[in-house]
Amino acid sequence: MTATYLDPNVLEPLALLPAAEADRHFDYCLEPYRPRRPWSGKLRAENLLWHSLLVARQRATWRALLEAVQRHVGKDLTVWGVKWDGERLWWELYFYDPRKESARATIASLTEALAPWLRLGPRVPETVPYMMFSFDLSAAASASGEVTALNLYLTGEQAHAGRSYRVTDAGAELENTYRFMEPKRNIDEVLPLIEASVFVDYSARERLKDVLFPVLFACKKVCISKKRDRDAIYFSGIAVDQLLWFLRRFAYPVPLVSFVERHQEQFEHLFFDVGIDYRTDASGRIVYPKTSYYGTL
Amino acid sequence: MHSYKGRFEPTRFEDLTVTVDFHCHSACRFCIVQEGMNRFKGVPFETFQRAVDDNQKELRYRRVTFTGGEVTLEARLFDYIRHARESGTFEHLRLQTNGRLLADMSFARRLVDAGIDEFFVSLHGHDAETQDYISQRPGSFDQAMRGMENLVSLGVCLMTNTVLTTLNQPHLAQIVETVRRFSPTRMEFWNYLPMEDHADERGLISPLAELGPSLRAALDRAEQLGIETAVKYVPRCVLGSHARAQDNTQPDVVIAEVFYDLYPKFSCLYEAKCEYAETCLGLHHAYIEKLGWEPELLVPYPRSTPWAEPEYGPWVGSDQPGRGSAPATDHPDWARLVAGVAERHGAQLAEVVLQRRACLFRFEQGDGGVDLVVTARSEAGPALARSRSFNVHYRNARGSDTDGLRPLVTDAVAAIVERDQGEMLLDQRKGLVGDQAVRTRPKRSGPPG
Ligand code: SF4
Repeated sequence: MTATYLDPNVLEPLALLPAAEADRHFDYCLEPYRPRRPWSGKLRAENLLWHSLLVARQRATWRALLEAVQRHVGKDLTVWGVKWDGERLWWELYFYDPRKESARATIASLTEALAPWLRLGPRVPETVPYMMFSFDLSAAASASGEVTALNLYLTGEQAHAGRSYRVTDAGAELENTYRFMEPKRNIDEVLPLIEASVFVDYSARERLKDVLFPVLFACKKVCISKKRDRDAIYFSGIAVDQLLWFLRRFAYPVPLVSFVERHQEQFEHLFFDVGIDYRTDASGRIVYPKTSYYGTL
Repeated sequence: MHSYKGRFEPTRFEDLTVTVDFHCHSACRFCIVQEGMNRFKGVPFETFQRAVDDNQKELRYRRVTFTGGEVTLEARLFDYIRHARESGTFEHLRLQTNGRLLADMSFARRLVDAGIDEFFVSLHGHDAETQDYISQRPGSFDQAMRGMENLVSLGVCLMTNTVLTTLNQPHLAQIVETVRRFSPTRMEFWNYLPMEDHADERGLISPLAELGPSLRAALDRAEQLGIETAVKYVPRCVLGSHARAQDNTQPDVVIAEVFYDLYPKFSCLYEAKCEYAETCLGLHHAYIEKLGWEPELLVPYPRSTPWAEPEYGPWVGSDQPGRGSAPATDHPDWARLVAGVAERHGAQLAEVVLQRRACLFRFEQGDGGVDLVVTARSEAGPALARSRSFNVHYRNARGSDTDGLRPLVTDAVAAIVERDQGEMLLDQRKGLVGDQAVRTRPKRSGPPG
């Protein structure tokens, strides 16, 4: 059964997709998890994606493409990210580990499948050992009908770590490195890795709280990432009340926050993942140039 | 799985706390229920009656504590006390009060005659200037002091409670000096928890670097004077040689459900490394957000056992060792999951403890026993078995023949797996009342008639 939701802020209806017994639950690394609550009466995570598109008035632009992605890769097997820089929303789609979950989640296969809607520009030989790739659904991509950059993720030097490269027609360059850890159990590694930074000076120790947020510390995993011009931290396996805290903390558009508030109970069965980019500005304050939250489609 | 350290699920199972009403004649600057005073009403008498009547059957609680607001202002307080006393099921009736009205000897005596045998009196300043500044009521210090004098002369048990804020932090040892002449049975020090002013605009959160030494000095002094102490919501590792005074247990509280949700959450960076991770709360989030994680000040005690993400809060059965097991099973739906199992093995289901995150079934068999614990189902953690809603574990196998407990455990697990239809959720709250306890507070004034 599909309920229709009329967003009071956007005044556009949205068909809410109910959770179903067949739903599979994955985090943003496509690791499966057991839902926190029984699924009945709940909503699928993808509603958050559709609603964010609605709020940004981009639903019509991307709808056919997203439905094609879902058909092609398989339900629940694509990770989406909603990105926010304080002014605008955009989206990223992540395709994981074709060997493990869906043989159709390769660059070659998706390039072909999505061709009617979007051209995936960069050529990447399938011999490159990527375990995942992603691309942005941005205003530029919708204007040109083309994605000019793909992000490739390769396994790193140690367990639960990796590197990502940005690939364009001009070539590939290292974009970031990252490592996953359990925040509490691995605290002796988490702290030094966070503090090994050229973008934030942690000699004032209370700084740590502006990166390792106590509300999000209670999560399954953190991912510490070092990017070209900033650091980032990801908290994965958080509950919907933590997601709400995050959306409010980073001042996401009001309609987006109220949607989650309104449907909080119906998202209680899910775990979410969020990411926070940060660095210090000229005055020494920590700023957050981009944040994001994730779910599956 | 993941969790905050903050566990306000009731853990002191023999204590029942009843919020009789939420109005007050003081206006303590740190008051955590200031806003709540306008929103919450006390527990309706009928609800209280039901709790007491249940206790007559189950003998679950040994003590009832009446609190507020300022409970001595409540006109029906004596009805509550009388009902509790006449039920004959409580060993102690306690009153939590600012002590001001106890300055009136006849009122103090009336309370004692009615059956109150334990008085828990708040004193937040060592002198009139500090206390009256904090309470914003001139004369409140003198009234509380006279009140405590009266209690001493009435020969009842006196305990004090001090809320730790920047306002009294420099004077904690002096507070001990102030009350020593009353020889209190116990002094409790509760760290301030902001429930409304999360950004601490009132500047009440005391930095640990200052609070630690000051509190330790007070605890030293109390120890010299032979006064028992208890400390709540202060990290154990800053208590020094008084670490054992830490007591974060909570009684069952009959209170508006939403009030409970306002309680802050806690975390500690070193939770997974610390021996006391299961009982110490660490720092509350408002503290961390204002003053940071205190990575240098907090020093974990090395663990002697591997850490596991807590699946349920700690429980502390009793303040009377050996009598921790309240005769259970006021949770029939939960008891039903294992009904009949104990009998098949010549064992006994001694207790069912329902907590937010877990339900524990305590079996006794021969000279030993075992606890079966169900927690919300998760693939992430290890489990002996998984039923529709739960992960099932066993804990605390005890006695001379722990191997002999195996058939009991196997049978109980099978029963749970078979009977759990996936409808039971582990976030149950007990002893609480719901939305009907929220209202705009009517104006009231003056002492009870
Ligand atoms: S280190 Fe241990 S004792 Fe200190 S605050 Fe953390 S949990 Fe408590």
